[in-house]
Amino acid sequence: MLEVKHLDAFYGAVQVLHDVNLFVGKGEIVGLVGANAAGKSTLMFTLAGLRTTHQGEVLLDGVAVDDLAAYERPKRGLVLVPERRRLFPFMTVLENLEIGAYAAEARAVARQTLDEVFALLPVLAERRKQIAGSMSGGEQQMLAIGRALMAKPRVLLLDEPTEGLAPIYVKLLFDLIVSLRASGLTVMIVEQNVHHVLRTADRAYVLENGRIVMEGKGATLLNDDRLKTAYLGL
Amino acid sequence: MSAETIPSLSPRRMAWFPTRGRISWFEIALLLIACALVVSGMASSLQDVLLLSFLFGGLALAWNIAGGYAGLISFGHSAFFGVGAYASTILSTRYGITPWIGIWIGALIAAMFGAVLALICARLRGPFFILSTLAFAEVVRIGALNWSSLTGGAEGLSIMPAPSLIGMVFASKAAYAALMLFYLVAVFAITKGLEASRFGYYLFAIRDNEDAAGAAGVNPLLGRTAALALSAALTGIGGSLFAQYFLYLDPTYVISPELSFQFALLPAVGGLGTAIGPVLGSFLITPLSELLRSYLGSSAVGLHLVIYSFGLIVVMLYFPAGLAGALDKLTRRGRPR
Repeated sequence: MLEVKHLDAFYGAVQVLHDVNLFVGKGEIVGLVGANAAGKSTLMFTLAGLRTTHQGEVLLDGVAVDDLAAYERPKRGLVLVPERRRLFPFMTVLENLEIGAYAAEARAVARQTLDEVFALLPVLAERRKQIAGSMSGGEQQMLAIGRALMAKPRVLLLDEPTEGLAPIYVKLLFDLIVSLRASGLTVMIVEQNVHHVLRTADRAYVLENGRIVMEGKGATLLNDDRLKTAYLGL
Repeated sequence: MSAETIPSLSPRRMAWFPTRGRISWFEIALLLIACALVVSGMASSLQDVLLLSFLFGGLALAWNIAGGYAGLISFGHSAFFGVGAYASTILSTRYGITPWIGIWIGALIAAMFGAVLALICARLRGPFFILSTLAFAEVVRIGALNWSSLTGGAEGLSIMPAPSLIGMVFASKAAYAALMLFYLVAVFAITKGLEASRFGYYLFAIRDNEDAAGAAGVNPLLGRTAALALSAALTGIGGSLFAQYFLYLDPTYVISPELSFQFALLPAVGGLGTAIGPVLGSFLITPLSELLRSYLGSSAVGLHLVIYSFGLIVVMLYFPAGLAGALDKLTRRGRPR
């Protein structure tokens, strides 16, 4: 479904990603873990078409999308939920959701999608008229995911979704990710919360200094001694 | 647009105080007062102040679409103003086309200028965009000064002061005041419609966080270009009305940095990114400026500018969100959140 081949990414003259190769199959949850500054968010930004210059290929269902502008990628089904939510804080929940359905295809079924999002995330239905900036961090994260779902994604890219969330919301969020997979959505998740992500993900990659250094099934990586020492503090 | 509409876009009941996307009783009351002033038969000098307040209110609203809603802070809007003014004046004086038509042609040309500026410069950020708009207006001004065969060059252009409805020249200032008020109300209605529209949401999104807007699929360049073109078109209409009132175009005034700053200043004082803000800004600043100039301009040269500047500093210091922000804060005390 989503394939990354020999991807290098740069901020100016600084190379951040080195020959990254990965694959996310249809209906999979794939995790990407790594220490701070490993290049996880850069990879997500590159996949979403935001800012970085890059070499290599990003393919969605075999079709190259790496030359597309950021705003064109959601039309192809590749939608990013950015780190720190990046909601539009002065707009209501409903208005934020409205923005998610920008593409004509998504707009045509916006009402139906909205009902689906409300069914999946009832807190958004309850707070539909609330100003987004006045919600708690967990609710804002749900809204960020809801906004992304309004674009009718095929692949959902989640960048550090649990950052700054209370434990109750972390659990809710991973339950939500599992239910999104059950509905047929493909999810790629970047997380520092290694334990949670490896327990949830079908497969995962470990990024270190901009290079993929390990890959495997989530459960297998969870028991890997090297990973335990480096990231789980065991 | 599809038949699918999200409930946020459906009509809502009227609010008491200015609220995004909704007409309020406060705004209705303001309109009624403005209508009463138009027909009140006040002194000629006060009618000047009144109609200029309406005109600059509309121009400030037009600027606010780009600067307040799309985040395109422009110091070059006098170029669009001048283009609109010159277009309708040239069409009427050279080709006998009534300004009632020329005004729309001027708006179209101004919109094209705005779209070109956006396509070239809207990728620039902050001060770089601001400087590019200043430079753009300078290019237009120099063009107007040097294309003498069309624009009259430094001598400018005059419109025959012969009152006629078809020529949009009126003997009565009340008629001009009514025309300017109509312009103000029209631009205000467009702004309100924009606030409640999907396009308005996209503009807010682009302004507030371009990356997030892009990640959600919103095309920032398209949004900015549309916003600047709309803003330019409405400014161009204001330019045409200005020409029809003053009946003379001086290129060093109609395309000048001072005028561009004035367009930006009024929304800044009144409240950027709000519909009522530019109107309040114009209703405060335009009379203040005109009255100070007329009462103090000749007796104590420069004093009116000192008082005017002091007033601006006070407003900026104590009302950083503008008069609209202060009004919102005041009225919010008694309202459920």
